[in-house]
Amino acid sequence: MTTLTSPGFIGQLTASRSRRRFVRGLKGATSWALRMLAIVVPVFLFATFVTYSLGAISGHSPAALKLGDSATPQAVAALNAQYGLDKPLGARYLDWLGALLHGDLGTSWFNGLPIAPQLVERLGISLSIAGFALVIGVTGGFALGLLATVKRGTLIDRLVTGFASLIATIPPFVASIGLILVFCVTLRWLPSAGYVSPTVNFGQWLTLITLPAIALSLDTVAEIARQLRAGLVSAYDENYVTGAVVRGFSDRRVLFSHVLRNGSGPAIAVIGMRAPALLGGAVVTESIFGMEGFGRFGSESALRGDVPTVQAVLVVGIVLVLAFNLLVNGLLTRLVPASRRGI
Amino acid sequence: MFSRALRSPLGAVSAVVIAIVVVVAIFGPVLAPYDPLKQDVAHLLAAPSAAHWLGTDYLGRDVLSRLLAGAPLSLLSAAEVVAIGMLLGVIPGLLSVYLGRVFEWVSLRVVDALITLPFLVFAIATTALLGNSLGPAMLVVGVLIAPGFFRVTRTAALAAATAPYVEAAQLVGASPWWVLRTHLLGKVAPAVAVSAASALGAALVIVSSLTFLGIGVQPPAPTWGGMLSDDLGYLFQQSYEPVFPAVLIIVTVGAFNGLADALRDASGTEARARSAGRRSRIIATKESSRVPA
Repeated sequence: MTTLTSPGFIGQLTASRSRRRFVRGLKGATSWALRMLAIVVPVFLFATFVTYSLGAISGHSPAALKLGDSATPQAVAALNAQYGLDKPLGARYLDWLGALLHGDLGTSWFNGLPIAPQLVERLGISLSIAGFALVIGVTGGFALGLLATVKRGTLIDRLVTGFASLIATIPPFVASIGLILVFCVTLRWLPSAGYVSPTVNFGQWLTLITLPAIALSLDTVAEIARQLRAGLVSAYDENYVTGAVVRGFSDRRVLFSHVLRNGSGPAIAVIGMRAPALLGGAVVTESIFGMEGFGRFGSESALRGDVPTVQAVLVVGIVLVLAFNLLVNGLLTRLVPASRRGI
Repeated sequence: MFSRALRSPLGAVSAVVIAIVVVVAIFGPVLAPYDPLKQDVAHLLAAPSAAHWLGTDYLGRDVLSRLLAGAPLSLLSAAEVVAIGMLLGVIPGLLSVYLGRVFEWVSLRVVDALITLPFLVFAIATTALLGNSLGPAMLVVGVLIAPGFFRVTRTAALAAATAPYVEAAQLVGASPWWVLRTHLLGKVAPAVAVSAASALGAALVIVSSLTFLGIGVQPPAPTWGGMLSDDLGYLFQQSYEPVFPAVLIIVTVGAFNGLADALRDASGTEARARSAGRRSRIIATKESSRVPA
């Protein structure tokens, strides 16, 4: 009896328990990683293959860009061989993919320069806007969703729901024009075009990306608010919430430790799904606010027929979206234990 | 389901707005009081008046005529996009439930991959590479929205296909075609109708975004998105001009969303339609697993 209650034994017991939990957690994480890998790798391969064959289908060639109309067939063939275009599509895809995995995005047909440095510069602009839009979307969406849940059934709830439906119908380019009209033309508070790197002037960077980010975030705010409200309201119906209320826990504690943790899954899943839309949608706001972003780089290169640059732009987009989704999925698994079951 | 949806105030208002917009789209070019391309240099950026109800743009073209003439292109392309997306989404969605594990796995991965593409950039790049016209643009956007229909169809079909009464029907010897027609269609159709209504709104936004950026159309042709982008250059001279096309787009998109909500309420497919859209695609790999919340 004395040995059982001695601190040494208890210490050993908790130590072995925590070790077991650690081992179990490690196993869980490994199997999660393996399952994710089994999904992500085929998706990546297929998406990049679609992207790559797009260039091949388009029928554009460096010869048209570099040699002009008066090129002889020999010169065209020589140039095609130089760029490896005489090989079959599958072989070219594998070469391209191999270079890609070594971090080589290829060289532009348009200016003959490596694509990666040009892309990184423009990616900063788009990531600033899309990232800030995501921050606004998540804060705004969670604030509105929580407000509607706390005041559910009241006028405030209906107002929030109506507001979410309204802003969901406003396309980003309409919102951009509206924001320019109000803040740049009428009030003259904020500049309407241009971009400055945050390392040069942080304050100016923030004022420049604010309007495009707000315009881009409206959809996300609405969607997160709606899903969060739906998730939280249905979590309030669960037995464990009734149990918690019966035990006399405060409203705040029930909301934050029982309802929010279990009911926010759908809203967080929305964050992951919005990533491609935010990154892709930035192209519209960038062109309205006069920024040379990543999407515009892609569309300008496409209009010029600069196939390798377009492929590089799309691949970087795919990688970013996949990485972000893995992050959100990992978060979801940690936050809502039930979602680990049966994924 | 449609008649029930139309009886709700939201559904009725949305249906009336959509009906008006469709009439405008069909008769718009005939109703237009002026030639939408005719320039009048004497009246540049004119304010609304009896002659020009909504004023004129920077080339002196009548705004009302341009809005009316632009309606068919904007709406028809949205409808075309949704039709392509539906075809490419619903059929594989149904097949993925029936054709066994290999087809299921492949179709799910293809759908996952399509969702990973940064939507608008991909649509723009593809359209520009394939020759800048509206045909390829519609096809690409249609393919890109197909995963939404795939998910919704698959979720509804899975729920129905594993129901005891369907298993019972199969046990007594019902053919897959018979099961599809009698049991599945009634379950899948409402969910698809809800998604189609909201996809029409989304497609209109995408088409307007593309035309706004000058993708898929050549300049003089009037489109709602293109008009907005023209107005953008003259905001300081004529700041209310963008209001007209913007309101048209917002009202039309709002009506489609309203119709989708009314249909969803009427069919009681809320849980099904939402669950398809809400889960991130990585979690959604096994639709048969527990739906969160």
